[in-house]
Order: sequence, then C-alpha cells, then structure tokens
Amino acid sequence: MTILQRIKNKVRARSIHVAYVDVGSCNGCDIEVLACLAPRYDIEQYGIFVHNNPREADVLLVIGAYTPGWEEKLAMVWEKIPDPKAAVAIGNCPISGCLFNRRESFVDPPVKKHIPIAAEVPGCPPRPTEILQAILSVRDSVFANWEEEHP
Amino acid sequence: MGQSLIWYLKEFARIEWIKKFLFAKTAPLVTPSYFRGFPEPTGKICQNALFCMMVCPAPGAIEVVHDEDGWIPRIHKGHCIRCGFCVEACPNGILKSGRILETKEREGTSLLFSFRIAIDLELCTGCGNCCTACPVNKVIDAQMGAGGHSSNDEVIMRVQEGDIVVIHEDKCTGCKTCEVSCPTGAIRIARILEGYQQPVQEESQ
Ligand code: SF4
Ligand code: SF4
Ligand code: SF4
Ligand code: SF4
Repeated sequence: MTILQRIKNKVRARSIHVAYVDVGSCNGCDIEVLACLAPRYDIEQYGIFVHNNPREADVLLVIGAYTPGWEEKLAMVWEKIPDPKAAVAIGNCPISGCLFNRRESFVDPPVKKHIPIAAEVPGCPPRPTEILQAILSVRDSVFANWEEEHP
Repeated sequence: MGQSLIWYLKEFARIEWIKKFLFAKTAPLVTPSYFRGFPEPTGKICQNALFCMMVCPAPGAIEVVHDEDGWIPRIHKGHCIRCGFCVEACPNGILKSGRILETKEREGTSLLFSFRIAIDLELCTGCGNCCTACPVNKVIDAQMGAGGHSSNDEVIMRVQEGDIVVIHEDKCTGCKTCEVSCPTGAIRIARILEGYQQPVQEESQ
C-alpha cells in the first residue's frame, strides 16, 4: 500500500458525506435518519456529515418504495455523485416495498433494480444504531483502498 | 489587559477541556434486550398452527416451512416490521422477541381467533360437499354420507331437506377445506381476531 493510499484511507474514514433521497416512503425512515443527527446518536462524532447535495456526497441513503415519479430521476442523482460512492437502502421499503407493495400498487421495488445498492438495512423503520452501523460498514468495505482496487 | 488575556487563555486551555473536545464520544450504543427485534425461535416445537402467518400484517414477512427437524417459522428481513404479533399469536410460544412473552404471561393477554361461516344460498346447490369434506365433521360424525346428511346434532353443518344449515359455527378451525371443495364457491370462511385479557382475580377481603 502506498503512503498516499494510506493517507487517503485515514482521511476518508473520518470524512463521509451523506446525502439522502426519499423515493416514496411513509416518512418513518426519514425520521430515524434525522434521529441519527441528534445528540443521542450524534453521527458527526464518527466523521459522518449530512449535506444532502449529491455532488458532495460519498454515501446515498435511499428511503422509500420507488414511486413512478422517480424513474430516471434517482439514476440521475446517483450519477451526480463522484466516485468512490455507495448507496444504502434504508428500511423495508427499498428492499421489498414493505406495506406499499400490494397488488395493483404503483411502486416498483426493490430499488437495487434501478441503482446499485451496497448495503441494506431491514426494519420498518430501522433503528438509528442500525443505520449508523450500515454507513460505517460501507465506509470500511467500499472506500478503503479504493484507488488500488480501481486503477 | 495583557494579564487578563493570559488569564483567559489559561482558563480555556484546560487539559480536560481539550481532551474532551478531541476525544469525547457518546457511550457505545447497545440495543437493550427488551427492544423488539426480529422474532427468533425459542426452540419449542412448532405445531404448524399457522396463527403467526394469519396474524402477520406485513406482506411476505413470515412463512412456516418444513425442514429436516420439522415445521419452523421463517422470518424474512426486509419484509418483517418487527410488530411482534406472530410472537403474541403463537399458542405454543415458539417465537420470542423483546419481552413480549413475559408481558403476555404477566398480563394474561392473548389473541383469540374465531371463524364465521358465510354461505351464499343463491349459489349453494345443497350438494353437501362441504359437510363431508370438513375434517371437524369427520371426527364428530364418521358416518356422514355423501349428501352431507347427518342425524348428529353436534356437527358444524349438515344438509337438511336440500338446504345447508350451519349448527355449530364455534367449532370451525378455519382450515378452509370446505371453501376448496365447494363446486360453486358458495361457502366462505372469515377469520375474526380479537385481543383478550383475562379478568384480574378480585382479592378476597
Ligand atoms: S420501511 Fe416502514 S417506516 Fe420506513 S418508509 Fe417504509 S413503511 Fe415507512
Ligand atoms: S413481527 Fe410482525 S411483521 Fe414480523 S413476521 Fe411477526 S407478525 Fe409478521
Ligand atoms: S373451515 Fe374447515 S373446519 Fe371450518 S367449516 Fe370449513 S372445513 Fe370445517
Ligand atoms: S359445497 Fe357449496 S354448494 Fe355444496 S352444500 Fe356446501 S356450500 Fe352448498
């Protein structure tokens, strides 16, 4: 491992920028993501910052069951994020559609059909600790040694 | 002026404060054991009563499958919403989650299932298939003939003078065998679920 890579790993591990996008949810999961920012869970102590701008983001949190209004738009948001990047599905909705996935409904889950998903957090809604763990795990699995693995 | 500046610097450059600023962390967050997680098996033997599947509100969350050790409910993460209804509904206590089982025991709560038999007499031809197919009827009156006639008053339903008559709706177990066997789709079984709490015993004076 080069020294440059080592420095990059070190810096990246303490500077994860997160954007979130709600593609049609009940807002339960949005509230849990919001709770991560509160002092009780305090995600900034892990070096995770929420900007909600895809151009600055490393991790995209996808919430919701993918309603027709998001066709093309979600992929557009995903493409705007510079490499290295990872998307995390938050809640049952992006995994299975949860309670919205009924006969004749318009939602089109799972979200991994539309953009690549690096981690999934099941739960309706998942707990803030679980969301935090998922972000920290993609940090270690996707961002570490990124340049060496993608020459 | 100079002195007070030094005083301020000294006051704010306390080692504990700097340590706190650089290294403070909230205590590691552990999920308390009483939080409802995804239901887990307790190791008791599943009787395939399927109450868990009947009560589950989330599509595709639970399925009772047969593996080499017998029946076992399988919870699908990504579908399950951790409501804990399956834990509460299971009469054999084979699932656990948080402190639901303890609470159920302490408070004497349970979920009661009952079934209503609805027969559309416009569609019913009085063939008696449902009466002979019903496994409960078979146990009560093994002699019941092909026409669904029976002289036993304890059966769930029987055919009398060409018409179907429901006598003991309360004995229905909700298996829906009758629905499948009916050639015209006249018979329907509805499940009714109610919460129940055992009345508190009055303290004797
Ligand atoms: S997973 Fe549940 S809480 Fe989250 S958005 Fe979907 S329905 Fe709401
Ligand atoms: S906890 Fe609720 S959603 Fe999950 S399997 Fe049991 S009944 Fe279904
Ligand atoms: S549901 Fe089953 S037990 Fe009930 S009447 Fe029909 S066959 Fe009999
Ligand atoms: S099987 Fe259907 S048609 Fe025949 S007696 Fe029963 S309800 Fe009527």
